[in-house]
Amino acid sequence: MNRNVILFLLCTALLFACFGCNLPRNQRFERIYYDVFDTVTKLSGYAESESAFGEQADKVYAQLHAYHVLFDIYHDAPSGTNLKAINDAAGGDPIAVDPQIIDLLLFAKEVDEQTNHRVNVTLGAVTKLWHDAREAALADPEHAVLPDAQLLREAARHTGFDKLELDESAGTVRLTDPLARLDVGAIAKGYVAQKVSEQLPDGYLLSLGGNVVAKGTKPGGSAWTIGIQNPDEPSALLHTIRAENLAIVTSGDYQRVFTINGISYHHIIDPDTLTPAMRWRAVTVLCEDSAVADMLSTALFLMDYETGSSLAKRYGADALWIAPGGTEYRTDGFGAYQKN
Amino acid sequence: MRDDLRFRPGDAIAAIAVLALAGLLLLVWLWLPRDRQTTVQIYQNGVLIRELPLDTDTSFTVGGTYENTISIENGTVSVTRATCPGEDCVHTGKVSHAGQSILCLPNRLEVRLSGTPEVDEIAR
Repeated sequence: MNRNVILFLLCTALLFACFGCNLPRNQRFERIYYDVFDTVTKLSGYAESESAFGEQADKVYAQLHAYHVLFDIYHDAPSGTNLKAINDAAGGDPIAVDPQIIDLLLFAKEVDEQTNHRVNVTLGAVTKLWHDAREAALADPEHAVLPDAQLLREAARHTGFDKLELDESAGTVRLTDPLARLDVGAIAKGYVAQKVSEQLPDGYLLSLGGNVVAKGTKPGGSAWTIGIQNPDEPSALLHTIRAENLAIVTSGDYQRVFTINGISYHHIIDPDTLTPAMRWRAVTVLCEDSAVADMLSTALFLMDYETGSSLAKRYGADALWIAPGGTEYRTDGFGAYQKN
Repeated sequence: MRDDLRFRPGDAIAAIAVLALAGLLLLVWLWLPRDRQTTVQIYQNGVLIRELPLDTDTSFTVGGTYENTISIENGTVSVTRATCPGEDCVHTGKVSHAGQSILCLPNRLEVRLSGTPEVDEIAR
């Protein structure tokens, strides 16, 4: 009798085990986009089916594309206005813009104040000279030249938030100086990643060209694992981070680079020297809000450790600095995220 | 001990049969082909266009807006030549770990090593 009971229990257990391994489980899917923000965007996520994931991915792409058009400074918007239209209208009448542009520029203004003008979207006249030099250098490396120092100094006279009029109630924007230009490259990706990820359920991971936002955890509750790239070796990782509801953004001297006579020039321009900043190889910021993480990574890249770490602290963010030569500095809280 | 729980010759046969079956299943499992073998996957515009084993050395060129020459050598893969501006793909160097990838934005190309990645994403 006893034996029958045991046998019955064993069989039942076996049966449940078999059903257990066949239970429908959330599968991992991913999509890659190449045509927004001049970078590679990857959406990964766990969903019941490919079509459930696809629905989510389509929504994400539609939002990304809309922001891409709005914040583009190089191409006209197919309809309506965008940042290029504001730049083109510099010195003219105020132009009516999408509320999202006003929202971004208000955030940009706050960032400018909080970072002591290190992260300043009105530096467009200066960054344009570097952008043009890089494009020319990539198209024709033999004849690559740096932007003229005199031209850079002249362009710097047409920067600053005093040249930007924001009328929230009217929904209009105007650059008062005909030669002033907006360039939101230092903040836009993080801002957009934040806005888009707010609509995403847990179990999704969005990477806008390395601006990573992790929503929730993976199914089962394990945290996402995010690697921090080694500045000297693109295929190697320096550290791995445990991420749960966390944004991870790195600013490095190895992105958007061009080379003249063996010297690399990257895209993060110091507003004081008007040349690429040389203080750090890379700065990685961890913060709940991706917009804050993105702007902080640029700000910290342009600041000394003391100034940067107190700024990070003010935002409740953690950071890792990599100095030339490889020495690492970190905030007190950074270690808690580290996996290795 | 009660009579019906006493060990009988039939029980020994049953036990041996169960063990033999378990052993057989283990052998079958071990002999099954490993589909976990790392492969080199070439994606263009997000679509898988080619898949090759990582353990067979070869070199080939992928077209598109630009050209990327991809080389598989000693269990590593790299883009050894590219006509794209910037050549970030070439500068990425050799990758060899499951889930790692090399990206070429201008040619909308991703060279990826299959398998479960060490990390879910890389902050750059």
